[in-house]
Amino acid sequence: MTVNQMSSVADRRPGSTANAGRAGSADRTEPSMTTRRHRAFYMFTAPWIIGFALLTIAPMAYALWLSFTTYDGISPNWHYVGLGNYRELLNDSQTWDSLGRAGLFAVISVPLSIIAGLGLAVLINRPVKARGLFRTLLYLPAVVPPVGAGIAFKNLFDQNAGAANGVLTFFGFDAIGWLADPYARYVLIMTVLWAAGNVMIISLAGLQDVPRELHEAARIDGASAWRSFRSITVPLLSPVLLFQTVTGVIASVQTIMPMLLAPLATTGGLTTIPQSNYTYMIHVFSEYFALGRYGYASALLWVLFVLILIATGLIFKFTSGVVFYNVDPEAKK
Amino acid sequence: MRSQAGAPVSRRRFLALSAAGAAAGAASLGGCALPVSTGVSSSGETVTMMVKAEDLSPDLVKQAKKETGITIRRVDYDITKLIAMLTSGNPPDLVRAVGATDAAYFAARDVMEELDPYFAKSSVLKLDDLDPVNDLWRYDGRTQGKGPRYGMAKDFSQDSMYWYNTAALDKKGIDYPSETEPVTFEEWLENAQHLVQRSKGQTTVSGGSYNGLTKLTLMATMTASAGGSLFSDDFSRVDFTAPEARKALAWYIEYCKLKVGPSPLQPDPNGWDGPTYQAGRLAMSNTGYWMGGMIGADKKLAQVSRLAPAPVFAGGPRISACQGGTGMWMPRKAKNKDAAWRIFEWFFGEAPAKARASSGWGIPTLKSLRPLMPAQEDYQKRTLKAQQNELEHFSVVSLTPYITGDAFESLYNQVTPAAMTGGISVDTLAGRLNSIINEQLGRGKEQVG
Repeated sequence: MTVNQMSSVADRRPGSTANAGRAGSADRTEPSMTTRRHRAFYMFTAPWIIGFALLTIAPMAYALWLSFTTYDGISPNWHYVGLGNYRELLNDSQTWDSLGRAGLFAVISVPLSIIAGLGLAVLINRPVKARGLFRTLLYLPAVVPPVGAGIAFKNLFDQNAGAANGVLTFFGFDAIGWLADPYARYVLIMTVLWAAGNVMIISLAGLQDVPRELHEAARIDGASAWRSFRSITVPLLSPVLLFQTVTGVIASVQTIMPMLLAPLATTGGLTTIPQSNYTYMIHVFSEYFALGRYGYASALLWVLFVLILIATGLIFKFTSGVVFYNVDPEAKK
Repeated sequence: MRSQAGAPVSRRRFLALSAAGAAAGAASLGGCALPVSTGVSSSGETVTMMVKAEDLSPDLVKQAKKETGITIRRVDYDITKLIAMLTSGNPPDLVRAVGATDAAYFAARDVMEELDPYFAKSSVLKLDDLDPVNDLWRYDGRTQGKGPRYGMAKDFSQDSMYWYNTAALDKKGIDYPSETEPVTFEEWLENAQHLVQRSKGQTTVSGGSYNGLTKLTLMATMTASAGGSLFSDDFSRVDFTAPEARKALAWYIEYCKLKVGPSPLQPDPNGWDGPTYQAGRLAMSNTGYWMGGMIGADKKLAQVSRLAPAPVFAGGPRISACQGGTGMWMPRKAKNKDAAWRIFEWFFGEAPAKARASSGWGIPTLKSLRPLMPAQEDYQKRTLKAQQNELEHFSVVSLTPYITGDAFESLYNQVTPAAMTGGISVDTLAGRLNSIINEQLGRGKEQVG
């Protein structure tokens, strides 16, 4: 390094005499650290915020506008109907029936998948041989694309050629029309349980966060494995379980799996979805793309959005007393 | 006063900039969503066709370039995308559609280009050479089948006809149906009941399928076969309680109840009859001549397959309509109409049309191409004879412009399962169908104006 270069480096050091001589002009031209932090924050978050505005806020606002019209995408004479679509859906039995089915599906599938996922997580959290292999195998269904899962389940539960009925008839039982009413809803629930690996992975992460010494202390005090699980594991996992409940409810009322289980996973295939699987999102899809009622379907989606907000709020309200947040008290200071 | 460079980004300013960015992004996204070039490319003109992959292979695209000098850009057919493109004023130059169910619907919404002036000038597609099936693409503002032409079918079948497997009939000792004289719907159903084979709750061989191309075309053509019309004179209402429509409806509900073949209660997992019929698990298939393309490719199957006329109702007229007539139309706002018409002529009247005619996957829509229909093998001659006989009974059954096939099917299948399982009577069902379908028709009529 030459003497001139060393001098140049020294000039850039904070507090150097060379720097101090030009302090006045630097104040006017260079932003302060706080400003730079603000700018960095906004620049880093800008892509997300712009994306959120473009791909979430703008479509939602557009859908809100559509929900006040009779727009069908192509006809020339659509018009503004105010709250007409919302009034209509209040009296639309198909809307409430499909919402009821979606709610029932959530009430059954969310607890079952959480229990199954937690059970699997507890099993593979134990020091067993080939634990990694089991974890991979159990998680594998969760990475299968839903379309592939739909095709697999359709073939598995086909009345005339499916493996499920193959087993039944082998043991002398009559075949069952799994993909038709009233059995179709059970197949739908099975698709959720089949992909419980997602829940399992999150629960497993939670389980590995539970301090081992608490379990050891409980064991020394004579607590049984069940008591230890109930009084230590579950409370410490409660934030994870709350997260799974909230996201599970949201995902289950929005499921389009019934469509993927239909013989044709297209607009035309909607018509072969059994009534027991005709859930709210299927109704919305049908109104949008089969009936071309963009306005009415947008109203349905806005109602669902508000209902999900309410449901999430209620879940938080009713679980506030039983969810244990393991927050470091020092962190609050 | 702080310099501009040193000014902190306030939240308000940031949000304003974000909003501006979002607006600019939205504008550019509008362009991205519809990346359709309908302009003139440096190496010649470019025509955008919205079709399915099976309509236009990459080889055909190359062939088009070689034979017409025009570059084809294929966009996958997607009704939602089509509507977005039409709405934005940037539609494809040619669009696939089903003549029977889509032509009047789009024509009534004034998005189709009238093609009469193009036909009048064409030396490839001459009006007197057009098969009557192309009338499905005509609409005079009130009735399908009359008025200006808005498109053309690429090939067609009389979709109320059916194929039967002689081996399945032999096994049950059933006489073969005539290849020239129709059976009644009642006889067809009776045969299907004899042909169905079940074991331990599973259907090993279905007796027959009879679902039409769509429920809209099925109900409309069956009602016509019973001597009536499903629609009112102005096509703004249906009446399933009218004796002819009720007869058609009752027959179909009975077919579903008996579970002799695929239905909304027990849909075919393959989505269509072809694979099931080919596997010998379906004795009779309500599919027209076009399935001969698949059958002809399997010599063993071809030897045991026969094409039979469309069934009739006892005492009713003999009607054998085309329920599809899939083809193409040109949007009114297409940017490259002359080049699009040249491709239209090439696709419907030149090499691709000739190749389709000789493939057996449908009847050509130009009369002059009929000699190309496959007739070398005995089974081909037999099929062709049955088909030519049936053509004498061809007619266009007009459908309404106020509802799509998908909408009709969706509403129909919402309420019919209750009757198929015996939960409600056919009369109750007819009333419910009238109620929900007429509501949708009313909305459609209001929007068309």
